[in-house]
Amino acid sequence: MAKVPLRKQRVALVLGIAFACSFAPAAPGQANEGRTAASGPTEERMITDNAPGHAGGRLAVALRSEPKTLNPALAEDEPSRDVIRCLTADLIHINRSSLKTGPALAKSWRVSRDGKQYTLQLRRGLRFSDGQPFNADDVLFSFQVYLDEKVDSSQRDLLVVGGKPITVAKLDDYTVRFELAQPYAAAERLFDGVAILPRHLLETTYRDGTFSKAWSLSILPSQFAGLGPFRLKEYVPGQRVVLERNPYYWKADHAGNHLPYLDEVVFSFVPSEDAQVIRFQSGEADVLSRFSADNFAVLQKQQLAKGYHLYDLGAGLEYNFLFFNLNDLGSKNVPDIAKKQAWFQDLRFRQAVSSAIDREGIVRLVYSGRATPLWNQGTPGDKLWADAAIPHPPRSLDHARQLLQSAGFSWNKDGSVLDPHGTPVEFSILTSSSNAQRMKMATIIQDDLSQLGMKVQVVSLEFRATVDRLQNTFNYEAAVMGLVSGDADPTADMNVWLSGGETHLWHVGEPKPATQWEAEIDRLMQQQLTTLDYAKRKQLYDRVQEIVSENLPVICLASPNILVGASNRVANFRPAILVPYALWNIEELYIR
Amino acid sequence: MRYFARRLAHAVLLLLGISVFSFALLQLAPGDFFSSLQLNPQISSRTVEALRSQYGLDKPLPVRYGSWLHSVLKGDLGTSFAYNSPVAPLLALRARNTLLLTGTATLLAWLLAIPLGIWSAAHRGEWGDRMGGVMTSTLLTVPDLVLFLALLLLAVRTGWFPTGGMISAEFNDLNFWSKVKDLANHLLLPSLGLALATLPPLVRHIRSAMIEVLDSPFIRAARAHGIAERRVLLRYALPVAANPLISLLGFSIATMLSAGLLVEVILSWPGIGPLLVDAILSKDTYVVVGTVMLSSVFLVAGNLFADMLLFAADPRIRME
Amino acid sequence: MTHRRKLAAALVFLAGFYCLVLFAGFFVPYDFAAQNREMPFAPPSALHFVDAQGKFHARPFIYSAQDASQEATPSDANTQRPYPIHFFVRGSHYKIAGLFTSNVHLFGVDDPGQILLMGSDAYGRDQFSRFLYGGQISMLAGLIAALFSVSLGTIVGGIAGYYGGWIDEILMRGSELFLALPWLYLLFAVRAALPLRISQWQVFLLLVAIMGLIGWARPARLIRGVVLSAKQRNFVTAARGFGASDAYLLRKHVLPQTYGVLLTQMTLLIPQYVLAEVTLTFLGLGVGEPMPSWGALLSSLQQYSVLSSYWWMFLPALLLIPLFLVFYTAADALQELHKSVPL
Repeated sequence: MAKVPLRKQRVALVLGIAFACSFAPAAPGQANEGRTAASGPTEERMITDNAPGHAGGRLAVALRSEPKTLNPALAEDEPSRDVIRCLTADLIHINRSSLKTGPALAKSWRVSRDGKQYTLQLRRGLRFSDGQPFNADDVLFSFQVYLDEKVDSSQRDLLVVGGKPITVAKLDDYTVRFELAQPYAAAERLFDGVAILPRHLLETTYRDGTFSKAWSLSILPSQFAGLGPFRLKEYVPGQRVVLERNPYYWKADHAGNHLPYLDEVVFSFVPSEDAQVIRFQSGEADVLSRFSADNFAVLQKQQLAKGYHLYDLGAGLEYNFLFFNLNDLGSKNVPDIAKKQAWFQDLRFRQAVSSAIDREGIVRLVYSGRATPLWNQGTPGDKLWADAAIPHPPRSLDHARQLLQSAGFSWNKDGSVLDPHGTPVEFSILTSSSNAQRMKMATIIQDDLSQLGMKVQVVSLEFRATVDRLQNTFNYEAAVMGLVSGDADPTADMNVWLSGGETHLWHVGEPKPATQWEAEIDRLMQQQLTTLDYAKRKQLYDRVQEIVSENLPVICLASPNILVGASNRVANFRPAILVPYALWNIEELYIR
Repeated sequence: MRYFARRLAHAVLLLLGISVFSFALLQLAPGDFFSSLQLNPQISSRTVEALRSQYGLDKPLPVRYGSWLHSVLKGDLGTSFAYNSPVAPLLALRARNTLLLTGTATLLAWLLAIPLGIWSAAHRGEWGDRMGGVMTSTLLTVPDLVLFLALLLLAVRTGWFPTGGMISAEFNDLNFWSKVKDLANHLLLPSLGLALATLPPLVRHIRSAMIEVLDSPFIRAARAHGIAERRVLLRYALPVAANPLISLLGFSIATMLSAGLLVEVILSWPGIGPLLVDAILSKDTYVVVGTVMLSSVFLVAGNLFADMLLFAADPRIRME
Repeated sequence: MTHRRKLAAALVFLAGFYCLVLFAGFFVPYDFAAQNREMPFAPPSALHFVDAQGKFHARPFIYSAQDASQEATPSDANTQRPYPIHFFVRGSHYKIAGLFTSNVHLFGVDDPGQILLMGSDAYGRDQFSRFLYGGQISMLAGLIAALFSVSLGTIVGGIAGYYGGWIDEILMRGSELFLALPWLYLLFAVRAALPLRISQWQVFLLLVAIMGLIGWARPARLIRGVVLSAKQRNFVTAARGFGASDAYLLRKHVLPQTYGVLLTQMTLLIPQYVLAEVTLTFLGLGVGEPMPSWGALLSSLQQYSVLSSYWWMFLPALLLIPLFLVFYTAADALQELHKSVPL
């Protein structure tokens, strides 16, 4: 070991004394069971600002399908993520209410002048749910696992900035430094949801190369540890997973009560949303997260009688849209579609289609009014980023006809639209049969366009076949799809708007932008990525939204409202429009 | 004996054939389990490809089939992509739940059908028989789907029955007898529904089998001897009528795993049905093949069992 | 009632129903695709003879439901304007059997009223109109699938039963194989592989035909049984003694024995395949929008909200019951009749 300079020796001595002093027994507090005398620095808890509640009670939730794994590096599906969120914690967390970042396991951080270095101070004295201490080694280990190419975690893609994965270094036991390849506007948001793993439990299996088998649902509760408000108590395959309070959780309310309040959380597995609704209605579940508008009407009738409350939070982050196949079809053997692309690529054609669509009808029929019509991808729920200045032209068949006429289209005797060569305009809209709402939208669009004189066929395929056509074979003409933004930030959907992006649905993975406006979008999106000032970023992203609404690569249709419900016995319930809509503040919930 | 050895050999061949065709069929439809990830803007195609190769989905089909067969012979039915855990324990658990449901339903159905069928046959042509006939016909023509949906609606509207699942949230806190009661409570509606759905053909077959026997001379002789009607029915007619009924029983056993699919999906019973439907729609190959194989084993075993029973019970067959 | 009478009654009913369905355009007031976005999920229109003032009208009338829009249930009837029902009205154009057009409908009401005998669906389309039009599609599907099933089943079963031996063994093992496989994938695959140019009708008929072909196993076993017993008959042995070829024997002597079973099978299979079409539609493999098969009408029942709030969506399912009852009665009667025919 190198000789430590004198100043550092003194600091070490001071720290050592402080260390020894911290052996004093912890002050008694409410619900403090399981807390032995601290054998490390005093716990630096986070104080929350919720209304204080009392301990006790069990929360019952019905999950739409069974979680597939409890391994945060491998979880792709929502149910797994829902459960994992209750069991783990991240360094910096996005407060779902305000949609802004805030401290979590990291109590503070500094950003270097060039925006490429983030130095995080971790809270001291925290423990995992099995009592083992938490420090920077766990952070290092976690990021090592997420970034390891052999583990193939989808988290890795989110941690790649400027083409290079971020690097993490330990400065001391409670300080870590992250290095980015370039300044990144949404850097803090990166950390949300990146669960910190316990090195003491997972390091061996990681070194053995068996990490992908770790923390599957067959683990025993004793093999699991996390920093979240709850810990695993029991898993019954096919039926339920039970979580119990984590006695070592690091949050407390401002009255000094140790969080979480709930004793237990029971997640039962039901096969469908309808089953969730039924359970909620009969009182067998206390919380209902994100359900569809049809069920809202059913539940609303019995709100008073059954003792629950429904919340319509307004528009969320989902946007549904119609788009045409603008891919390069050179190598694919679909000559019919290639001919029709002459129509699709004409902006006036797309504008005419957009003008003919009855968005109000979609909102009314598909979502019973509980949705917002959209003309571009920024939904009203994205308050920080949606461009409110985008025009919302009302439906007009006349305007649509004028546009088509100016593009050289005409009508024949029985009202069908003919293209400049005299071919009747007929095409198909592809959609996935598993999504009832999009099928309905496609049916409404079919009817709308028939009023214009276009003959549209709705082709609904099984989901995987749909994906195959959209991304591999390009064997489709038009499609109705929807996306839910992973975050209220433009970088969440980069791959949709960048020309080379894999979810650049209308023209997947272009090597270079096909049109001038797509090149402009590329430039603006890359620029906003590294612009750290919010006002400037908003200007850039506004311009992107304008370009999208002017050039219509996607014809946006509607954004459903976020609908949530909770039993009246659940207090401190503050649902939000970003996933996990209902349970993001589960540590603050208590039973009246 | 040689006959049964041959049947057994046939059964093995059949199962092999089923496995080959299932694998082949699954390949036909485009896309695979990880296709859904391709549409997620936050997951790169590199990750998707890596996942595919990790699970061996990039290898050609015969290779995958070969390695699957190899592991099956060792008792390992492969891994589920969705659950990231071995298929065999997953299936075992779900199969247990399904068998609980279908077993109860079959028992119920037969317990109801036998007296109904015998009584109808004995009072053939009378008012009671006609009424019974109309009711069974109506029950037969009500599509199973409609029946189960109606039961679900009943549970929701009246609150007399739980609306799904196998146990309540408080199951762990209950003592033994309460646990049994809770389970029975949840079992009631689905097994009743399934029993009602399978009842009509049973009643008809029992009735027609009994009628055929009751028309035969030896019954007339027995009656002429003055033997009480009840004895005639139960001690003389029923054992003879048992022949087609044993085939039916074999058929019930053969379809024990698959019969419950619709009711499990609609009334959220955690059996093999919902697992299969999910796996089919998400292309979780090994789960689908494993489930199909398990159902086929039941099918074959049920038929074989029925044949053996017939052989043991009916001397006429032994003579052949 | 004798079996013959029962059969006759059933056939008359079925013929009547087929007529109704074939001339659906005339019997229903609206086109099956006509959407009314103001009135999704409107309840059936009640027929009245006595109006709000207590006056009796010989001609029945309805009150038209108001715009449902954001409400949980469509609001109650607008009691301001009664719409009397007229007969033989002029309405939307339709084609009968694809041959001749007309625009005369049996009954209807003046615009903007809408007479909804079975309520309306999610797009405000009249369920009654869609039910009868849907009969065209579903009954045809059932018929085609049953035909394919029985045809293939007869061929296979006939060969197996007639030639016996190892051919029989192989074919019967093959039928067990068929019964066990997850055929859904084949249907998904076929659907996914078809080019976009194919019309909805063609896709649907193709899927239905495949569905029927897959179901050859059960008829095959029955036919095989009949053929097995028929070929033992004395007159067959005699004919063979006279030098008749296999084909002749099959055609003239053996197969005619199977007609009874064939007919019974057809009558039993048609309702089963109608139900199978419903299942296919539930899984997304049915005929596409806006074509109204019975499966399409019932598929909205998959959603709990529809199931619990809009009872009239159940009506198509309930109407199927008497229809199937007639089919089963016919099958029963056929079975009894064919049994009593001396072989």
